Amino acid sequence: MSLIPFGFWAASGGGGAANAYDLLETTTLTSNTASVTFSGLGDYSDYAHLQIRIVSRTSDATTNANINLNFNGDTGTNYATHDLEGNGTSVGSGSAASIANIRVAQNIGTSLADAWPAAVIDILDFSSGLKNTTTRTLNGWASSSTPRIFLRSGLWNDTSAVTSMSFALSSGDFIAASRLSLYGVK
Amino acid sequence: MATPTYDLLESVTLASLASSVTFSSIDQSYGDLILVMNPIASSVGITPYTRLNGDTGGNYNWVRMTGSGSSTESSAQASRTSFDFSYPGGRNDSSTLFIQQFMDFSATDKHTTVLARHNNPSDAVAAYAGRWANTSAVTSLTIFASFSNFAAGATFNLYGIAKTVV
Repeated sequence: MSLIPFGFWAASGGGGAANAYDLLETTTLTSNTASVTFSGLGDYSDYAHLQIRIVSRTSDATTNANINLNFNGDTGTNYATHDLEGNGTSVGSGSAASIANIRVAQNIGTSLADAWPAAVIDILDFSSGLKNTTTRTLNGWASSSTPRIFLRSGLWNDTSAVTSMSFALSSGDFIAASRLSLYGVK
Repeated sequence: MATPTYDLLESVTLASLASSVTFSSIDQSYGDLILVMNPIASSVGITPYTRLNGDTGGNYNWVRMTGSGSSTESSAQASRTSFDFSYPGGRNDSSTLFIQQFMDFSATDKHTTVLARHNNPSDAVAAYAGRWANTSAVTSLTIFASFSNFAAGATFNLYGIAKTVV
């Protein structure tokens, strides 16, 4: 680390507190894959929240493929989403209710070969058996055309503790080199 | 096996005026980087720009959306010489919190995507996505003032997020 051109001081974080953010699992794809599932999440009930960090693309030549999230294998119409979207020209907002998954992020495909969309998704209080599960997402990419930035929220209208999460695209497969990493937050 | 992470790699608090801060020789064992900064400036209108690996070519692209309290706005820029995440009104003089997440920064098979959030209670709230059009791993990161200097007390903290369970 260097500082130009004036003086500074540097300090490292102090210790004492327990670590509160842990990497739990990572999947880096070596071939195109239709869906990625994290199961056995009951083993992580000592964490308060989960975070998924995704860098991925779809195999289809689309500029709009949703990353859909299902909890506990539930494919009923028990989900809802809201989003705020910037497209480089204007800001829009959308929503959907009584749908079969959370449209938790958006991907692009081979028609925009330069960009890798990224998403940071928080699943709050996932192990509670007393409340519906809420998600929030920061997602976007800056391709040379059709760049996008999103803020999203999602609802699973079920009070069950989350024990598995499945991610799949609305169009195509996750391509090789896509990465999905799961973290626990205490 | 859980792997503790969100590790503080480096922390800088300015003791006096500085035009830039560079984090170099970034540990490549991490998957993502998170830069948290409160880049208070020496005068009105200074914006923090970010540059990767010292690349001054036109390889930076971004899109943003903002809310000012009375209106929303979205714009995009391509072929910039840094992530010049400029701000409506150009004010970065008051206390602001800028968080930039460099995703898969150590990968060499994809352009680096940055997701960012800017919180400036005086003016607006903003979110950004950016792309560095280069497949090199990010080994250094420089934050520089769009003009003049950052002020004493400006803080810059860099965190590493593991991607490999150990």
